[in-house]
Amino acid sequence: MAGELAFDIAPAIVALPFASFLVALALGNYMPKKGASAGIAATAGSLVLSLFALVTVAGGSTYQQDLFTWSAAEEVPLHFGIFIDPLSAMMLVIVSLIALLVHVFSLGYMNDEGETGLPRYYSELGLFTFSMLAFVMADNLLMAFMFFELVGLCSYLLIGFWFRQDGPPSAAKKAFLVTRFGDYFFLIGVVGIVATFGTARFVSTDGQTAFPVLAEEALVEGGHGVTTFLGFGPEAWFSILGLLVLGGVIGKSAQFPLHTWLPDAMEGPTPVSALIHAATMVAAGVYLVARMYGFYALLPTVLAIIALTGGFTALFAATMGVVKREIKQVLAYSTISQYGYMMLALGGGGYVAATFHLMTHAFFKALLFLGAGSVIIAMHHNEDMWDMGGLKNRMPVTYYTFLAGSLALAGIVPFAGFWSKDEVLYEVLVHGLGSAGTTGTMLLAAYAMGLVAVLFTGFYTFRMVFLTFHGEPRTETARDPEPVRWNVKVPLVVLGALATVAGVVNMVPVEKVLGIKGIDYLHQFLDPESELVTNLTAHHYGEVLHDVSGYTADATAFGSESVTVLVSAGLSLGLALAGVGLAYALYGRSPTPEEHTDKLGGLKTLWYNNYYQDEYQVWLASGLTLPLAKVADRFDQGIIDGVVNGVGRTSLTGGSYVKRIQTGIVTNYAALLALGLVALLLIVGVTGGWFA
Amino acid sequence: MMDGTIEALIAVTLVGSLVVMAGSDRYAAKLATAWSLIPLVGSLGMWATYDATGNALLGGETAFTSRETWLGLGPLPDIEWFVGIDGISMPLVVLTTVLVTLALVSAWTPIDERQSQFYGLVLFLEAGLLGVFTALDFFVWFVFWEAVLVPMYFLIGVWGGPRRKYAAIKMFVYTNIASLVMFVGYTALVFGLGDAVSTFAMPETAEALVVENVQPDALAFVGAETLKVAAFAAMFAGFAVKVPVVPVHTWLPDAHVEAPTPVSVLLAGVLLKMGTYALLRFNFTMLPDVARANMPIIAAFAVISIIYGAMLALAQTDLKRIVAYSSVSSMGYVILGLAAYTLYGVGGATFQMISHGLISGLMFMAVGVIYNTTHTRMVTDMSGMASKMPYTVGILIAGAFGYMGLPLMSGFAAEFYVFLGAFQAGAFDVANYNLMPAFTAVAMFGIVIVAGYLLFAMQRTLFGEFSLETDYEVGRAPLHDIAPLAVLLVLIIALGSQPEIFFEMIREASGPVADLVGGGA
Repeated sequence: MAGELAFDIAPAIVALPFASFLVALALGNYMPKKGASAGIAATAGSLVLSLFALVTVAGGSTYQQDLFTWSAAEEVPLHFGIFIDPLSAMMLVIVSLIALLVHVFSLGYMNDEGETGLPRYYSELGLFTFSMLAFVMADNLLMAFMFFELVGLCSYLLIGFWFRQDGPPSAAKKAFLVTRFGDYFFLIGVVGIVATFGTARFVSTDGQTAFPVLAEEALVEGGHGVTTFLGFGPEAWFSILGLLVLGGVIGKSAQFPLHTWLPDAMEGPTPVSALIHAATMVAAGVYLVARMYGFYALLPTVLAIIALTGGFTALFAATMGVVKREIKQVLAYSTISQYGYMMLALGGGGYVAATFHLMTHAFFKALLFLGAGSVIIAMHHNEDMWDMGGLKNRMPVTYYTFLAGSLALAGIVPFAGFWSKDEVLYEVLVHGLGSAGTTGTMLLAAYAMGLVAVLFTGFYTFRMVFLTFHGEPRTETARDPEPVRWNVKVPLVVLGALATVAGVVNMVPVEKVLGIKGIDYLHQFLDPESELVTNLTAHHYGEVLHDVSGYTADATAFGSESVTVLVSAGLSLGLALAGVGLAYALYGRSPTPEEHTDKLGGLKTLWYNNYYQDEYQVWLASGLTLPLAKVADRFDQGIIDGVVNGVGRTSLTGGSYVKRIQTGIVTNYAALLALGLVALLLIVGVTGGWFA
Repeated sequence: MMDGTIEALIAVTLVGSLVVMAGSDRYAAKLATAWSLIPLVGSLGMWATYDATGNALLGGETAFTSRETWLGLGPLPDIEWFVGIDGISMPLVVLTTVLVTLALVSAWTPIDERQSQFYGLVLFLEAGLLGVFTALDFFVWFVFWEAVLVPMYFLIGVWGGPRRKYAAIKMFVYTNIASLVMFVGYTALVFGLGDAVSTFAMPETAEALVVENVQPDALAFVGAETLKVAAFAAMFAGFAVKVPVVPVHTWLPDAHVEAPTPVSVLLAGVLLKMGTYALLRFNFTMLPDVARANMPIIAAFAVISIIYGAMLALAQTDLKRIVAYSSVSSMGYVILGLAAYTLYGVGGATFQMISHGLISGLMFMAVGVIYNTTHTRMVTDMSGMASKMPYTVGILIAGAFGYMGLPLMSGFAAEFYVFLGAFQAGAFDVANYNLMPAFTAVAMFGIVIVAGYLLFAMQRTLFGEFSLETDYEVGRAPLHDIAPLAVLLVLIIALGSQPEIFFEMIREASGPVADLVGGGA
């Protein structure tokens, strides 16, 4: 607990990037590298401190500390505080590592390419890193929401970095608006949770009990200290709250139907895309569900919705990735799809699997984006894969690292993505098989969609690899690409190594099939034995899922557990290999491949146009809301203000008649006075009953 | 007893007004700005030594209190010189002095004729505003309330845009009629209380109504049972014009569009708060039972103002009209918070008054700085301003996100408190209050629309290739144009990350109001 050095200095993890934000903003123009040095130093410092915290947490300690009070209202105080447990420590390391590598890569992508406005760029990167780290460390939902919003602001600023063009500001606006729509529900959820439980804490302290614990008590023991609203019982009301918070998750993690902002966000600089997709904006949504999993685990209906949303999004996005021309577009849809898997795992009862996939995906997706960035530098900022080809021999470092990332994304053994995706699918499968009633059915349906998506993933990933790196160069630029420097290659190599080997932290299938005990390190790590977090362990979540939500794992549906593990892994690996093989057959064999997806006809048009999701959302904004606003405006100017002006005119006209009695002749006034007196007396007399 | 502090504060401002008006145009701007530092420093000093407890009207101890009988009216209640400050008025006094100084600086560029009169009138306005927020006797309060209108009328009517006369007269007549309605309503209520009150002191009236629970007698043709409702309605209507609440809001956009920048800053920043402040002091403090019984109607007014005001802002193409209509929307949150009668609701409403004062002040100033060089405010007339005026635009973007309720800025704190307070009211065991969470959820959609219209306007005017329809040379703004913007931004962030700066004293004074219906949950 307290007293650990790593924890005492933990606030510096967030303070350093914030300092780099201020320094780069104020002094960037006078610094070498235009502020990059400040960012690199700060994120390196954060990484070291995060690793220190991770090691300390692995030793069995956890930490919670209130930092300052945001509102000291006695009954419902609100505060800022930090919470470091295995989940947040792991995420801190991921975020600070990716941020550091993105900073280094930016030297090559931004500084070496002669971009202007770099102090602004590096200060925004610093703010972005700061916001995400603070979000990860938050010990309560309100603080998490606040930094969740700041992450959205930073995405807006960075996506719109090239503000002099038309595309980026528009994409930035869309990203903020679509996620704001999701955050509207999230904010109602936060308000509702604070009003219901009187606290937003994730973790219980001496003074206050965490809201997931209160919810559990209310459901299990018919508990106390909980106010429900609008006449709902606790279970229904908690489900509503859970769904409201989920709105924010769906927006930020780009799940259907709020995924539309993400492909447009490719307008931002590529290193920013890497940061947004791997470790910050998009990761924030999924992390939030994992952070308050103790609450979601109580709500089977919400879990099923999460699983179905995730499974559907995984498949839906993967299909669109198949037909894209631009390398970053393929990666964008793969991000949506991969976060779908994480949601699928969370909904399917696989807390550890989701966290695992969050980690491996961070490595391989950052790698793929930075690899794509390297290709884009080489191609003089042409992103069309049909103008590439044959880059394999001309940029080997980029090629081999990109290949490692692609194998991980496709889920090929033994790359990191295989292990995590396999565990995701396995967990959903066994819970689907074991759970009774509609829960089981819905999980199996979600599983089926996730499984089919594996085939598509293998295909689009390797279509991208073959088109970009293999075959004959299709343009002059591809024949003679611009070389990249160390600042591009070093991040690629680091991430390439991680994407290859990170799976060793959690080789559950090996453990189960070969019976080697104790190599499921991530499971053990996420199951700490600290008094502070007894309600925040993988083990506890498993119990709650079983006891409250009726989730049951049936690992013996295909005979023994080993067989089930092998069947599940065989299915996903087989489908992934089939996808890769198909991509090879269509795009890898011939040195001058054709666009075979043209044969899909109408389906291609549908996929290429993203199922026309953008069209209806744009229509909602500018085809429906804007005209409605214009109507309101006409109503306001015409009717409401018309009445006001009408009243004004009437009294003016009336006044011009009335003023004629002001003749200036004294006798007239005297007569009027007398008449007035008589009239007054009459009125008083009648009402006062003088004549009665 | 006479404390003298508040009197000195108002008097020094008033004297400054006369000195500046009598002086030359050449140094009016600098003199008025320098002079306005006296009430500014004074109010900060008062804040530092402030020691009030509770709510001024509900048995609390006010600070800097002066109370002397002023006019004995025989059988009628006496008029007293009665001023004092509690946790609700203290932040508003500070807001006033801060915004006046900043608005004076922002006037340096655009105001180039009749300067001594302009700056003198602004100080006169400040004196009136300080009186409104400190007076505790109804008659004294009413005199200040009306006194504010006079300089405002001239400031719009003389230094305004092309349709300044129309806008000034509309504002004056509209709000003056509203004052009349409110005056009749309130005096009827006091007369109805008869011997229960011996003065026009607001705390005495409040005590008679909510502590001693005196039922007003019948008065003229109004029956005893309807008098409270009628008085509430008259006062609500009167104050609603000032706030403004839809549908009595149409004077506001006209006034804003015609008013010069510094006047818009004070109009949106402080004058609108007179309306919500009065609603809080009179309607919601003195007649809680009427407010409680009619909660759905009041909440509906709030929700309509929020959503409809935001929709109107979405339809505008004049940057200033956008900010003006968004004020209608933002002030709706104040009404929603007041209607909730929770600690977070009433406290959040008060906090929103301060926060909106700062943020709308910043927005009007930033739009004004752009107008100073472009001479147009139409969204369709310009694009790419970010590359020409990087600092102004940078602060404008920050302010716009503040308006959208970005966390760690004051707007988020205020809105979150209001939403939380309004939601909590759903737990009251009072008829209809169980609907409050639904009202809140609908009202909260305002945060999506506000993001919509501000982001659209920013995209069109600030980003993209630079182009401008008018033929003016666009250059960077002078430092004295940017400095007030920067100060406001710092204050907004300070209040957003450390809301306790004001929220502690606001809670102290709001709690007793919240307790009138549901308790301080």
